[in-house]
Amino acid sequence: MTLPTFIIKNALRNKRRALLSVSSVAVSLFLLVTLQVALRELTLPVESPGAELRVCARNKVSLTNPLPARQRPIIERIPGVEGVTPFTWFGGQYQNEGAMTFAQFAMDPKETRRVFTDFKLSDAELARFQTGKTAAIIGKITADKYHFKAGDHITLNSTVYPGALEFTIAGIFSGTADDRMMLFHQDYLDDSIGTPGLVGMWWLKVKTADDMPRVIAAINQAFANTAAEVRAESERAFQLGFISMLGNIKTLIASISTVVVFTLVLVTASTMSMAVRERFRELAILKALGFRRRELFVFILAESFGLAAAGALLGIGTAYVAYTFGNISKMTHGIFVSFEVTPRIMGLAALVAAVLGVISAVAPALAVARTSVVDGLKTLD
Amino acid sequence: MVAETIVKIRELTKIYAQGEIQVTALDHITLDIAAGEFLALMGPSGSGKSTLLHIIAGVDRPTSGECLVQGVDVTKLNETQLADWRNQNVGFIFQTFNLIPVLTAAENVELPLLLTQLDRRQRRQQVEMALEVVGLGDRAKHLPRQLSGGQEQRVAIARALVTDPKLIVADEPTGNLDSHSAQEVLTALQSLRRDAGKTIIMVTHDPKAAAFGTRQIHLEKGELSA
Repeated sequence: MTLPTFIIKNALRNKRRALLSVSSVAVSLFLLVTLQVALRELTLPVESPGAELRVCARNKVSLTNPLPARQRPIIERIPGVEGVTPFTWFGGQYQNEGAMTFAQFAMDPKETRRVFTDFKLSDAELARFQTGKTAAIIGKITADKYHFKAGDHITLNSTVYPGALEFTIAGIFSGTADDRMMLFHQDYLDDSIGTPGLVGMWWLKVKTADDMPRVIAAINQAFANTAAEVRAESERAFQLGFISMLGNIKTLIASISTVVVFTLVLVTASTMSMAVRERFRELAILKALGFRRRELFVFILAESFGLAAAGALLGIGTAYVAYTFGNISKMTHGIFVSFEVTPRIMGLAALVAAVLGVISAVAPALAVARTSVVDGLKTLD
Repeated sequence: MVAETIVKIRELTKIYAQGEIQVTALDHITLDIAAGEFLALMGPSGSGKSTLLHIIAGVDRPTSGECLVQGVDVTKLNETQLADWRNQNVGFIFQTFNLIPVLTAAENVELPLLLTQLDRRQRRQQVEMALEVVGLGDRAKHLPRQLSGGQEQRVAIARALVTDPKLIVADEPTGNLDSHSAQEVLTALQSLRRDAGKTIIMVTHDPKAAAFGTRQIHLEKGELSA
């Protein structure tokens, strides 16, 4: 027998409790990893190919305030601008679904390839999209979710505009950072609501990265002191601005994570205290046989650490396997496209487990250290 | 030839404070124990015999007085020194056996050897030898729950002698045993003294058990009586 064998035999003497303790650590760490991954996905700006040359221009007052369609030719004339399209939020609900499950935007189909260079869409599909007035293209994730295919007719009830619109799916696109949205004709939307001459915002593409700051400044300046002042910014800056609106969600997730960790500490500390309490007499015997306080502390620490490590391996491992090899879009009903369990997140969870192992061992170890052999021998088994 | 004194106790006093009340467990005890003795320490409950045994074995500290074991004043050692000293110099036998339930008989006996420099092979040899001495060589792989009370106590004896200490202390070693098992255990202790020259100090309130000793002393209210 060796000391590690002795420690393992002790840790597994109450197998049911050991299993339940490891499971509670594993479930808690799985939850912690999930929360951290979700937080990362929510707060990480979407990095789509071609984003470095795209500019978003929205109403300076608010994202929800529209912009006049007459701004388009002014923007198009700014040197360095390669393509411009309106981008108007439709807010449609599919069938009887109580919530909007994928985003839809009205745009100028002729600008698809010019502005959104990352779209993977066949020429035939693009041609169908550009020619049919009710035509729409839809991201592969949503198409897979609802089993949509080219030629299907779908109806969406808008939560922004009165009534519903029927669309014909012209193609399925992929290759973007978010293959969930649907795009359709701005003209179709205009016609259905009486051509008010308004759009949600402008998306444009500049020729080179060097043009970006000058174009942004020119757009902002062009509409300064008008009824619809514009705030133009790079796509990345726009995404970051959008993320900043999630401030409360970040706080909420951080709070839940803290509660998870705190509960975990209580559960593990309680388990270790119980495990040591019922072995007080045996630990007193070990002391009598010549084991020193530091050796007994190592026994308790190793057991506590082992428990936390086994739970961490199981919890973090399960999260890694589930989120790396599982279909996240399907699991989250399209809310998340990917869940990346990064080394930083795994490291954080492992660190929590390690600290947990140490903290849980401290109280029982102190109790054992303070108890004399004689007092320990008096305790009941 | 005069036997060497292995335990030399002078004016040993132990007072327990129980709240406001002070209880004198040992009152200026002076005692010499010779090497190779099998001393039976007798007395009624609360007479201080277990306290005396604990101080000799270095698991309790006196309020005042001296307790020299093999020339070392155990009252002067700190916790770490005492732990090392106990491992090398004292073998313990308790009333309730106190074997670790998840370890086999051999592993229980091996426990004190984990603190030594012996390698695994040497430890195994020592363990086999100790179990043979108590007649349990064939029970090495048995867990405590698979052994009878007498066998468990003999495993505890093997654990006490595996480090080859000169002094073995036994606190009511037959208190939990039937008469047949008690006889086995006492015979084993007797042969340890006779064949291996161990000094044994045994606390007991059973005169039949005490009769196995080479000397009997009585404690009454913390004082030695005739």
